[in-house]
Amino acid sequence: MFTTGSKLFIGGTVLALTGTLVYGIGQNGSALGTIGMVTVTIIFAFLMGINFWVRDSNVSSMDTAGIETCSAASKPAGRSIWPLVGGFGLALLPVGLVVGKGLTWMSVIVMLIATVEWMAQSWSERASADPAYNEGVRKRIMHPLELPILGAIGLGAIIFSFSRIMLRIPKSAGPVVFGGIAAGVLLFGSLIATNRKVGRSLVAVLCSIGSVGIVGAGVASAIAGGKHVAKHELAAVTNDGDNCTDVQTEADSHSSRAIAAKSNLAATVILENGKLTALIAGENGVPTDTITIPKSLNAFIRFENHDSGKFRLRAYLGYTVLAADPTSHVNDIICTQAVGKGGTQFMIIKPIHASAAIANDKNHTPYTLTVPGVNDTAITIEVP
Amino acid sequence: MGRPQHDMTTVAAVNDQSGDSMTTPTSRRNRWLVPVAGLGAMALLAGCARNAPQDTWQPAGSNARKINNLQHWPFAIAGVVLVIVASVVVYSIFKFRDRGQAMPAQTHGKPALEIALTVLPALILIGIGIPTIRTVFQLAKTSDTQCIINVTGQQWWWEYDYPVQSGCGAGIKEPIVTSGEFVIPAGENVLLRITSRDVIHSFWIPKLNGKRDAVPGRIQTLRIEADHPGIYDGQCTEFCGLSHAYMRMDAVSLDAASFNTWTANQLKAYTAPTDAAGKAGESAFLANCSSCHQVNGILSSDGTPVIARPDLRVWSGAAPNLTNLMTRTTFAGGSFDLLTPSCRDNLRNASPSDFSAKYLQGTSPQCLDAVQLREWLRNAPAKKPMYTTGNLSTTNGKTRGMPNLGLSENTIDSIIAYLTERK
Repeated sequence: MFTTGSKLFIGGTVLALTGTLVYGIGQNGSALGTIGMVTVTIIFAFLMGINFWVRDSNVSSMDTAGIETCSAASKPAGRSIWPLVGGFGLALLPVGLVVGKGLTWMSVIVMLIATVEWMAQSWSERASADPAYNEGVRKRIMHPLELPILGAIGLGAIIFSFSRIMLRIPKSAGPVVFGGIAAGVLLFGSLIATNRKVGRSLVAVLCSIGSVGIVGAGVASAIAGGKHVAKHELAAVTNDGDNCTDVQTEADSHSSRAIAAKSNLAATVILENGKLTALIAGENGVPTDTITIPKSLNAFIRFENHDSGKFRLRAYLGYTVLAADPTSHVNDIICTQAVGKGGTQFMIIKPIHASAAIANDKNHTPYTLTVPGVNDTAITIEVP
Repeated sequence: MGRPQHDMTTVAAVNDQSGDSMTTPTSRRNRWLVPVAGLGAMALLAGCARNAPQDTWQPAGSNARKINNLQHWPFAIAGVVLVIVASVVVYSIFKFRDRGQAMPAQTHGKPALEIALTVLPALILIGIGIPTIRTVFQLAKTSDTQCIINVTGQQWWWEYDYPVQSGCGAGIKEPIVTSGEFVIPAGENVLLRITSRDVIHSFWIPKLNGKRDAVPGRIQTLRIEADHPGIYDGQCTEFCGLSHAYMRMDAVSLDAASFNTWTANQLKAYTAPTDAAGKAGESAFLANCSSCHQVNGILSSDGTPVIARPDLRVWSGAAPNLTNLMTRTTFAGGSFDLLTPSCRDNLRNASPSDFSAKYLQGTSPQCLDAVQLREWLRNAPAKKPMYTTGNLSTTNGKTRGMPNLGLSENTIDSIIAYLTERK
């Protein structure tokens, strides 16, 4: 008669041997992995042999009376789902090796779960002759492990389902749907709290239906795919003035009219009556037409348009010689989106050449802030 | 295998016994009393140091004076509270110490006393809080400042640039940049706009105002004012890496006329060396230094302006501008003196009326401490620890600080000769 422990190690040995064969063939005998799997098989076989010999260490193999009266022999082991689960995992393994990593990992995880659960069940069934006590022992050992994992999986499934549903339903319908669900949950919870006659089984059934409904809708949404999201052109940050002209693009039609940045500004640049002026912290509100910005330092500039029409701020910060063709260069230009009257935009500039150093360079022109479409006004940027 | 352990123990025990037999209880007390009293006296005497350039109790400007005035009353009040509390505690310890007497009657709740002990500290805090808040707002005021200086910290030096502005003496027509020390007009309210290129630093010149952190991406303002011409020392007070302790700063205050002279001198056109040694030095500078250090106006051999690109080699993206190096008294970010000790003392000990004229002389060849500068050029990281070798993968291969350039002695001589003319 095989003892319970022996059965486990027989299963382990067969599992490891099968895995070794599948992996070894699948990987064309990849040395390291195959050696590892062979080692695992040998270890399982060794443990199986010891277990056979010592009869699960419960009683002496020669003591037949002890065998007949020991707790493991007092009641046959109950039915277990875990060999079936383990078999499912094993069957999944070769499929995963063909299909992809995800399925392979899933099979390994399923087999691990089956192994651990089967071991725990087998061990607990031999704890005493009292099945109720044995079940209690199993719960005490396994619940701290099972419940958090099951809870996390359940929560993860619901959260993931929610996200899929949200991505699927129209943007305007999202608040309505989830507002409705939230109201339903609140109403349901209130009813349970105030009406003590509601049975636990009814609550469990309703919760299960709700969970299955959400997960089902999530799966359906995931299969259907997310809704179409129109991709808008981003801010017109570009080189060589491609989009930094007075011609407006799609980006300008979506420009924000307000920005949060009100502090840490190197300057606030204002377009008013066709003229650009700059306000600098510490200049006590006196407008200036020159701002000084340290090199190699991000400087934050706020642009305010006080004129009618949509305008953008454009910064010229010299040029960069092309590495591929040292005789050519591109102008370092950056600009904001165009914004209407009363709107503000934000710009970050980082000059790297000292303006004093380039003063004698015939190729350089002064660094400036200008507004395309508004002539004869500019803010000079000095870089010490 | 060495002496047996029990022999040593015995000897020690004998020594202890002989020592104990000669020590009275009084002499044992004295053995502790003398070091404790000595330490206390040292701590007290440390406050009397005359040469204490970073003493916050010796304000040299209106802003630092506000802080100094603010701390007098709280210290006095805290001292009174300390004496009262300590006296009551000591009295209670001795008066009610355990002498085997019966447990005294226990009472709970003294509403009048409890209310008084709540109201009194609240009143004290209000009394301290009102002038504190008023001073905080006064120190944050920027509307009355007459001069703006941008202060940018990086590992491990400070860069100062003067934006184009109408204030600052007679005004700044073109930006001025310097490092290590910055010059302000005496008696003017100066607004520092402080930021950082890499990590958080902290700017503090104790005699002129409190601290202000230099935070990347933020511009923090700090107002300073110096009553008289002189040099006011400071120190980075936020640990910022390997050479944090070397990250010093000096505010130099000049009288109004001298300040205008200084600004005009900073903006004068570049003068190329004409003598052979100077030309050799310029060539050596162009070959070894100009890729990081800017000298405004310097031209390459083909006549094109040389533009430093420290952003390609240094993690912070900046290196000190050396256009007017010899108008300063320190180098390597204020870490080392350009002046010999005697010239340094002569300048620093000058009276306020003589100081400005002496400072404008800059570092003359006679006063140049060439030994320090030579050591720096020979192997900078050996003189001031910096991250210039080893694994630079976290900084994309860029250094933090000046690397050892492996210059020959002749090259070092040439560069020093060239730099000596930069004033």
